[in-house]
Amino acid sequence: MNEDKLIIETRQLCKNFGPTIALNHVDLKIYRGQITGLIGENGSGKSTITSILAGMQPASSGEMFFKGKPHKPSTMIEGAALGIGMIVQEQGYVSGISIAQNIFLGEEGRFRRHGIISRSAMVKAAQEALNNIGCNDIDASWYIEQIDLQDRKLVELARVMASNPEVLVVDETTTALSQRGRSIIYDIMRRMRDEDKAVIFISHDLDELMEVCDRMVVLRDGNLITDLDKPEFEPNLIKRHMVGRDMGEKYYREDYDGTVSDEVVLDVDNVTSGSGLLINFSMQVHKGEILGIGGLSHCGMHELGKVVFGEEKILTGSVTHVPSGQKIRDARHAIKLGMGYVSKDRDHEALVLSASIRDNISSAGLDKINDGPFILPNKEKAYVNQQVQTLSIKCASINQNVQYLSGGNKQKVVFGKWIGRDCDILILDCPTRGVDVGVKAAMYALIDDMKRQGKTIIMISEELAELIGMADRLLILKDGSLAGEFQRSRQLTEHEIIECMI
Amino acid sequence: MKKSWETIRNYFPIFGFVIVVVFFSIATKGAILSGTSLQSLLNQAIATALVSIGSVFVFGCGCFDMSMGGTLCMTAVLGGYAGIASGSIFVMALACLATALVLSLLKGLFAAYVEVPLFIVTIVLGFVLSALVLVIMGTETTILLNDAVKPIPSFNFTQMSAINIVALAGFFIVCVILFNFTALGRKVKILGGNPVTARQTGLNSVNIKLISFIISGVGVALAALVALLRIRSVGSTYGADMGTDVMIALVLGGMPLTGGPRTRISAGIIGALTITVLNSGLSMLGLDLAIIQIFRAVIYLAVVYVASMTYRTNLLPR
Ligand SMILES: Nc1ncnc2c1ncn2[C@@H]1O[C@H](COP(=O)(O)OP(=O)(O)OP(=O)(O)O)[C@@H](O)[C@H]1O
Ligand SMILES: [Mg+2]
Repeated sequence: MNEDKLIIETRQLCKNFGPTIALNHVDLKIYRGQITGLIGENGSGKSTITSILAGMQPASSGEMFFKGKPHKPSTMIEGAALGIGMIVQEQGYVSGISIAQNIFLGEEGRFRRHGIISRSAMVKAAQEALNNIGCNDIDASWYIEQIDLQDRKLVELARVMASNPEVLVVDETTTALSQRGRSIIYDIMRRMRDEDKAVIFISHDLDELMEVCDRMVVLRDGNLITDLDKPEFEPNLIKRHMVGRDMGEKYYREDYDGTVSDEVVLDVDNVTSGSGLLINFSMQVHKGEILGIGGLSHCGMHELGKVVFGEEKILTGSVTHVPSGQKIRDARHAIKLGMGYVSKDRDHEALVLSASIRDNISSAGLDKINDGPFILPNKEKAYVNQQVQTLSIKCASINQNVQYLSGGNKQKVVFGKWIGRDCDILILDCPTRGVDVGVKAAMYALIDDMKRQGKTIIMISEELAELIGMADRLLILKDGSLAGEFQRSRQLTEHEIIECMI
Repeated sequence: MKKSWETIRNYFPIFGFVIVVVFFSIATKGAILSGTSLQSLLNQAIATALVSIGSVFVFGCGCFDMSMGGTLCMTAVLGGYAGIASGSIFVMALACLATALVLSLLKGLFAAYVEVPLFIVTIVLGFVLSALVLVIMGTETTILLNDAVKPIPSFNFTQMSAINIVALAGFFIVCVILFNFTALGRKVKILGGNPVTARQTGLNSVNIKLISFIISGVGVALAALVALLRIRSVGSTYGADMGTDVMIALVLGGMPLTGGPRTRISAGIIGALTITVLNSGLSMLGLDLAIIQIFRAVIYLAVVYVASMTYRTNLLPR
């Protein structure tokens, strides 16, 4: 590589969290005019190294250079001012304020007129920033809560791009985004590259990385393992570098038998949801079925998951648990009937961040670890350890708070919380979000197992490959209604489904 | 580093207690640990501890109750009247329990069903209770158990100590078991930590809150009864400082007042000991009451600040 283009260099960078070594003497080089992919298992140090570059936290030891000068930003604001913009893996916005205020957080002074902040000038500039990345449909004057998770990520992107960074870091964002969100991010990344700027792109989607990146850097347990140029990209080689051994071939389900029993377990009848995102929607779900649900943004698929679980108000219609004949009233009732729900918004809805792995996982299984009124600590420990092992949750101990886990490991905690309960009907909203390939394979195997035991899985996902790979039947939603239905088949292609979505 | 910091932080409340004791032993030249003052210290600590331990559940599940003082006062006054009217310890105890439970259930229902922030409701409730006490007592400022229709037995120091210890140890042990070895404690922590998660996990927030308030009601009733038996009288301002003492106690005991996963029963007992030593130490130094109040406020703010600071730096977005 042309060393003139070198923009970021770390030398012997280390980061420890107590006994955990997150980065172990890492020498990373990032060049201009390239999109550099960063890949590695959950907890391998990807977020750690990029957040140190962006100024979110300090390194334990080692040096960093940015444009040839020593680099040691002490805050994210300082990092951004120097020209490193980062879209973080977790929540990167401030609640309770408008989109415009989020975009210009900390820069309100720019809009001061005669001593007061001009709201209209700020909204105007924010709208420009949004339009600039192709999000004309998001209104900058709205509150951040009024838009969904995907659009909030795009607002973050607009904020980062508004400060004109020389290096853009995108940390594991795309799996939460629909096709449209992804193409917006890809366009921006390519634009940056063509302007001779640099991009660091973190993702667990190997196909996506191979397509978008010019170079890939593999991390494993805090060590930089290798550095590959585009011609060297080869999926199995990359996976081997990631996990340090050959991975099994099995990934999705191997059978193409989409027949399921006739027994209906859930009957969604003519439902219109309170948010208005689901309109007169009906479907039936069978025993032992993996039902995939997909669609573009705002198609109502995430609301559908909540509606079925009783978590969202419905205006008309009903959701019936057929075996018991009862209409589902609320989440507690649904759980009593043997249902479980993995929310897409894990930090706000699925986890108590300040609680330990143990407390989070056991919270859904308190009736599985008791003896009469008493909780048995040993039984609880065994119950939690079982999930930690099955999903290889990378943690210092089960008493560690989930807020200190890497993004993918948090997702595993949520999954484990519900898998442990042994639910009859499991609703999974983006269950493999941010999870590395190895553990994804384990999750798919678990889902397949549950199906074989006659359990029902409703799998809502932005990832078409995953839906095609797992579902017996696939429903595509559009504007709150059913746009298409596909049976499991070897011939089913992403292309066919995208046609149906748009 | 992080790991050891967490472990060290668990011992902060005990360090705090030791520092306060050492400081006031020196400042009062040992007077605070002398016979009579130690005795009065323990007596106060017991009432505060009983109320605080019960409050751990309430604050733990995210209910900010500012009316502990008023609840305690009303309980003691009605209990006292019942004792005087009947001349029976048993009736007195029953009246204490009934009053405390009714008031706690009332608060619990508000917390469970009413959308208004609970701290506002309980501030108002605190005022209402103090006013009601004045109405009930009319022209009297104190009521005396010695006015009872039949004499209520009085206890000597040894007997009183035994009652104190049985009440406190019994309540403490029951609460530790409920909190650590039944589902209740886990539910309280999850509910206080994130109500949305609690709901999606199928926890019944109404039940959890009601049970928490009932437990705190039992603590208040025990505190009122023990105090009645010891002082044999109750004044209209009894328990006035209890509301703030409980909150300071919980914070000094190492749990956030917003509840959640760091809730622990030990916070009630260690915190109660620390705040009691602090209160009596300050008054033994002969400081003005106003100064003492300011001092308490400063300590309260300092502890809350330090606690929230460590919390914030740990929540890096990733
Ligand atoms: N604040 C923290 N306290 C303690 N441990 C931490 C903290 N932040 C990160 N870690 C640990 O450092 C390791 C690296 O974490 P990091 O977030 O960089 O992983 P990652 O590669 O981004 O993983 P993922 O793909 O899951 O996002 C993990 O083992 C994680 O548990
Ligand atoms: Mg990460």
